[in-house]
Amino acid sequence: MSLIKLRGLEKTYQQGKIAVPALRGIDLEVESGEFTTIFGPSGSGKTTLLNMIGCLDKSTAGEIIFDEHSINDLNSKELAEVRRYNLGFIFQSYNLIPVLTAFENVEFAIRLIEKHSKKERRERVMSLLEEVGLGEMADRRPNELSGGQKQRVAIARALIKEPKLVLADEPTANLDSETSKEVLELMEEMNSELNTTFIFSTHDPQVMDYARRLIEIKDGKITNDQRRD
Amino acid sequence: MFFLKMAFKNLTRHKRRTLITALIIAFAILIYIMTEGLMIGMTEMSFNNIINLESGHLQVAKKSYWEDRKELPLDNLISPTEELENKIEKTTGFKAMTKRLNFSVRLNNGIDELPVTGVGIDLGQDRKVFRLNKYLVKGRMPREGSSEIIMGTKLAELMGFKNGDYAILLFRTDEDTFNTIDGEIVGLFNTPHPSLNESSVFLPLSTAQSRLNVEDKISHYAIRLTEQDQAIPAAEELNSRLKDPYHAYSWKDAAQSLVTMLEMQEIETQVILAIILTLAAVGIINTVILSALERMEELGMMKALGMHEREIVYTFMLEAAGIGIIGGSMGIIMGVIGLAIFNINGIDMSALTAGGDMTYGFPLKGTIYAGWELNSFIFVFLYGVFISILASVFPALWAARKDPVKAIYHR
Ligand SMILES: Nc1ncnc2c1ncn2[C@@H]1O[C@H](COP(=O)(O)OP(=O)(O)O)[C@@H](O)[C@H]1O
Ligand SMILES: [Mg+2]
Repeated sequence: MSLIKLRGLEKTYQQGKIAVPALRGIDLEVESGEFTTIFGPSGSGKTTLLNMIGCLDKSTAGEIIFDEHSINDLNSKELAEVRRYNLGFIFQSYNLIPVLTAFENVEFAIRLIEKHSKKERRERVMSLLEEVGLGEMADRRPNELSGGQKQRVAIARALIKEPKLVLADEPTANLDSETSKEVLELMEEMNSELNTTFIFSTHDPQVMDYARRLIEIKDGKITNDQRRD
Repeated sequence: MFFLKMAFKNLTRHKRRTLITALIIAFAILIYIMTEGLMIGMTEMSFNNIINLESGHLQVAKKSYWEDRKELPLDNLISPTEELENKIEKTTGFKAMTKRLNFSVRLNNGIDELPVTGVGIDLGQDRKVFRLNKYLVKGRMPREGSSEIIMGTKLAELMGFKNGDYAILLFRTDEDTFNTIDGEIVGLFNTPHPSLNESSVFLPLSTAQSRLNVEDKISHYAIRLTEQDQAIPAAEELNSRLKDPYHAYSWKDAAQSLVTMLEMQEIETQVILAIILTLAAVGIINTVILSALERMEELGMMKALGMHEREIVYTFMLEAAGIGIIGGSMGIIMGVIGLAIFNINGIDMSALTAGGDMTYGFPLKGTIYAGWELNSFIFVFLYGVFISILASVFPALWAARKDPVKAIYHR
């Protein structure tokens, strides 16, 4: 069963009077539980594509079906609702709240879905932080953590809601290669442990080694799509 | 609780900015408390002056007299009867009463003439209702049955009189003929009620009555009660027993024009508060916009996580409320300290009025002390918090409505 179906997806940005086509007809299906890499050079449309899948922006043409539901006609409030309950995000620059501790940054996300008791919440946040290897650093603020550690907090924040899908736009772009490797390994581990679907983008050929499904994109079009085992 | 904690932590991001914004609110509240305190002090002293020197707690007069009382007429006077006085004495909280006869006088020193108010006073009773005798700075009170008079030092100065001089009082009698009193000045007073000092001459009631040819008639009774607060119910109570044309008036009726003026002043104070708090609101708006701009990437993250607009607005409102509470508390503390400093020595009104006697139309002079009311502290505190929250709504909405993609990649 496909978690995501994209049909003839197009996105054109309007820059003044000039139309900038960013996506030019994307057809794609992503199965539940997949670990997918979107690879392409800078400017190829990776961010745009992830924003479409992540219900953050509206397409110019084509259709997006998320979990059997078309999201084309949803308004911004309804899109927010879809994101709130189904999606996790990991950003290139972490986007953590600097005044909150690692624990609180993760807690923040689970607060938005009110289905846990206080005790349950604490336990879940703590065990997830332990799982991403930050059990000892729960009380640290982002500026007391390294880049790799910050991204681990962000991964925990994305996973705490147990979303159907986690989207990560160039999650390793700000990290050195050793740390990138660790972060990718962690994401893979979470994918197989929790069976959460991951889609992440990169322009770093090194990162491609971790891809189990590699989608190459160029000038807003998919040029290659292959599964590797 | 979580968002409350987050709001609190957010306030610590830029401690100085938080403090400065809070200080603007504190400053607004400080000014309000001081102005209000001064107003309360002036009001209290003005009312005391009117009660102690002009009207007593209650006055009983004929309705027709009361309406024209400013013209000091000699018609519609009261002929005292035991029946009437018995009724007055039965008033709850009654302490003392005295009779007064006000009339229009031209005060003459042989060269100049000045229109003043002549007041015939019952020398035995007057001091039980009024405090005039306490403000004698020279000489003594007049003797019963004599032509002795007392006046304010200010008036004496104006007319070139000294204690012991003779002043000519020229007036129209009840029969519309002119009569005079050659009054010996036996005392000078200096009260905190400026108009009394400038334009009143006091003499024995019996002397005034015989020279004015009004027999034993008086303008009104003035009554002192045990409690000032009882004046209005006491007037009502007494009126239920008094028959036309007699009517009891509380000191508030007597001070009607002052009460009206105070109401205007109160509005003025509120306007001042509103203006300063508007400035504070601008500070809050500025702070929220700066915060939102700085946290754009965080806001983008929040929106990506599916946080609703109203939840984002709510977090900013909590922060603004925090600033309001900090500013409000500082303002109250500063205000209390300010009032305390004011009241160590009191405020010399003459300094404010450049030596003049009238104080913005208030019947007071000399040193006044600021007052305070718990209710107005609570009001101004809540008002400050309310304005802070209100001011944050629009910039917060602007921030919350940012497009998530633009916010995430905001640079
Ligand atoms: N907001 C925008 N306005 C105009 N053009 C944009 C905007 N965002 C992206 N683009 C353009 O769309 C194309 C794809 O961009 P993007 O999706 O960011 O690519 P990538 O993430 O692969 O670097 C680029 O040519 C870029 O300049
Ligand atoms: Mg990009």
